[in-house]
Amino acid sequence: MDPLLYVFDLIVFIGIFSIISLSLNLEFGFAGLANFGKVAFFLIGAYTYALLSQIGVPFYLCLIAGALISAIFGLLVSLPALRLRMDYLAIAILAFGEILRLIVKSEDWLAGGDWGVTVSPAISLAGASHRVDALMNILLVYVCLLVCFVIVQLLANSPYGRAMRAIREDEVAAEALGKDRSKFKAQALMLGSAMAGVAGGLYAQYLQCVLPGMFMPMITFTVWIMVLLGGPGNNWGVLLGAALVQIFDRGANIAKDYLVLPIDPSNLQYILFGALIIFVLLYRPHGLLKESTIKTKALRLAYNGRSAVKNKGS
Amino acid sequence: MTVNWAQVLFNSAITGSLYLIGAVGLTLTYGLSKFPNFAHAEFITLGAFIGYLVAEQLGLGFPLALPVAFLATGVVGFLCYRGILQPLAKRGASIIHLMVASIALGFVLRHSIGAAWTWKPLYFTTPWSAFDMGPLRITGLWLWLIFAAFALALIMHFILMNTKIGKAIRASASNPELALASGINVDRVIWITWFIGAGLAAVAGIFRGADTQIWPMTGWDMILPIFAVVILGGIGNFYGAIAAAFIIGLAENIGVVGLIALGLSTTYRIGIAFLILIITLIVRPEGLAMLFRRA
Amino acid sequence: MEEALLRIREVSKHFGGVYAVNGVSLDINHGGICGLVGPNGSGKTTLFNTILGLHRPDQGEIYFNGKSIVNLAPHQIYELGLVNAFQLPRLFHNLSVLDNMLVAARGQQGDKLFNSLFLRKRWQEQEKGLIKEALAILELVELDKWAFSPAGELSGGQRKLLEVARGLMAKPTLLLLDEPAAGINPVLGRKIFQRLQDFSHNGIAFFVVEHRLEILFEFASWVYVMDKGKIVIAGQPQAIIDDPTFYTVYLGEE
Repeated sequence: MDPLLYVFDLIVFIGIFSIISLSLNLEFGFAGLANFGKVAFFLIGAYTYALLSQIGVPFYLCLIAGALISAIFGLLVSLPALRLRMDYLAIAILAFGEILRLIVKSEDWLAGGDWGVTVSPAISLAGASHRVDALMNILLVYVCLLVCFVIVQLLANSPYGRAMRAIREDEVAAEALGKDRSKFKAQALMLGSAMAGVAGGLYAQYLQCVLPGMFMPMITFTVWIMVLLGGPGNNWGVLLGAALVQIFDRGANIAKDYLVLPIDPSNLQYILFGALIIFVLLYRPHGLLKESTIKTKALRLAYNGRSAVKNKGS
Repeated sequence: MTVNWAQVLFNSAITGSLYLIGAVGLTLTYGLSKFPNFAHAEFITLGAFIGYLVAEQLGLGFPLALPVAFLATGVVGFLCYRGILQPLAKRGASIIHLMVASIALGFVLRHSIGAAWTWKPLYFTTPWSAFDMGPLRITGLWLWLIFAAFALALIMHFILMNTKIGKAIRASASNPELALASGINVDRVIWITWFIGAGLAAVAGIFRGADTQIWPMTGWDMILPIFAVVILGGIGNFYGAIAAAFIIGLAENIGVVGLIALGLSTTYRIGIAFLILIITLIVRPEGLAMLFRRA
Repeated sequence: MEEALLRIREVSKHFGGVYAVNGVSLDINHGGICGLVGPNGSGKTTLFNTILGLHRPDQGEIYFNGKSIVNLAPHQIYELGLVNAFQLPRLFHNLSVLDNMLVAARGQQGDKLFNSLFLRKRWQEQEKGLIKEALAILELVELDKWAFSPAGELSGGQRKLLEVARGLMAKPTLLLLDEPAAGINPVLGRKIFQRLQDFSHNGIAFFVVEHRLEILFEFASWVYVMDKGKIVIAGQPQAIIDDPTFYTVYLGEE
């Protein structure tokens, strides 16, 4: 395969999975919600995009629709789920994701069942080479990633983000200090689902098809590893995690072709992956980058003022 | 549409028995260690493959497969807990971290199994008698499965109620500090529970493998319905799990009748257990625990 | 007669058949420090938790500023001006001390999703002012040097102080304080009560559970004594000290 194209492909995947990772970071890293059904909202965004683009809706509207519909499902899921204990929430959402996959698999009329639906790419220039197509995708994905990143950073560095983290730390205390925890959690889940929905749409148009088999629980677990590895509560960390995991994945695939190993490389890849996660959890449970501190303009001024006084004194 | 209700009931007993054997270990370890062990799926899978190894590859026959798989998988389960999950817990890992660790363990086990054997489906070649009894279609395998579940229930009941270790398990589950204070080695109780739990999972895996096929996803294919049994029965509650297993078995098989009647795909069958799982968690997370004394 | 700020009427709360709070009625007036004392297990903390909305009373009514609050969620009760400082501090350990204070601030424009994204100017100015206020209060409790440290790094006594400081930051009309001087050296404890008294002259009412009776009685204008879930004595500190029943409550029957 054209090596440059391979790199472009990797870059697109890193971009798409960065968006999903940011969304999980918002839900888990900041709001403390154990969303183990991430792939469900990814699926919703992808299928929404696919079905709408089939009837000729322009790509940006498809993406927005994917985000909205995912957000609505996020809200629906949040209603019963918010008062659940962390592990109950995780299992329930996991089961929800599986039910969704079962539905798109079984209902052929909905979206082609097991055979799925083909999707046309968002941006296709006539006569363009594969490389140019890939570059267009990189552009599209990274613009979306930038928007998402700016949104989650702004939220994290604001009183809203502070309130959300407070709820994560101790929701009883946060509530006693005036924070409506249900509202914050529901909003986190809605926003996170919307972002996953956008990622889903981008995925669908990049791979130019949607199939139930593309939305296995494995994707949810992969995103969790990206967040836990990079550092929950740190948006930069999560981007790092996404990149590292994707590179590891690709690297293992390449090694397959070049190394002769006693164990089939695709198995070895997962074995190493699992071992890596366990290693990280044992020795660096907070991830590579620590949780980011809240940085608002006012706080930065106060902190600098404080350091200036200290330095003057010495 | 004529429905063979007798068969539906019998099938429910089969499904329920399989789920019971698969769920007992999980409910006990979940109750004691306080996190959902997703690697339990791979204990099931491992059991199926070890059973295959013993029965088919070594040609030692099916009956020997069960105890060997039980013991071998039990040891693996104990090692997983002792070597990885317990140290993590001792370092203060949260429920979610432990859950993710168990999923990662699952990857390692699943793909080790795939590497050691194969990803292509394998089959037990043991011939089972199959006969009709009135409206019922029965196979020897199914009878053995139901018998095994029945025996398990009785043996576990006896152990939990009448033996020192059983009482220790119950005490550790309901109040670990008190158990520790009364001289029970809670750590050892947990180790034994993980051993037995994994061993029973192996037995479930063998029956499942014998009934359908053996492949590295054998356990994962069953794990969510088994979680449904655990949650519905009440986490850590053995008796609740018995009731839940058969309720869900019944729901699935009657549900299949309903699906066919409504013209829906029977792949939704497994979704029935998922639905029960979600509804239980939302409406009554403690499950049936209220109805059964803690055990 | 001015209506009481907090009116509790015949409130009872039981857990599994045991009445932690059994038919309690009391009034807290605007301004001033009101004390709540009693031996361990008399139900003081349960009463506080019921007032602030963590428990629903099994019987009785609670009125704050004339409004019934028994069916309100804790965040709604906070909005009305009733704030609480927990006995065992419930701090946000991974947030800085200053951030802990800022969470408590009232009327923040930046608390809303839309505002935090699109109307940033609106709350950024507000936050500057809030930081000044927070630092001032932190100075009162001698925690200002720790403003930028994670709350999890504070010692036990310091955590108590932050818990109280946070309550003050919330600009309450009534602040429930559950043992504010516990685990703190007596000199600092007295200083805190002096500050509370200053705040009370500015209109904040305090309802304080405290075991350090010598400090409490110096500053409180009214004291309720609780025993086994009931209010047994009520009155000014001097009257309480002079009442022989007070001693039997603490020391048991003669």
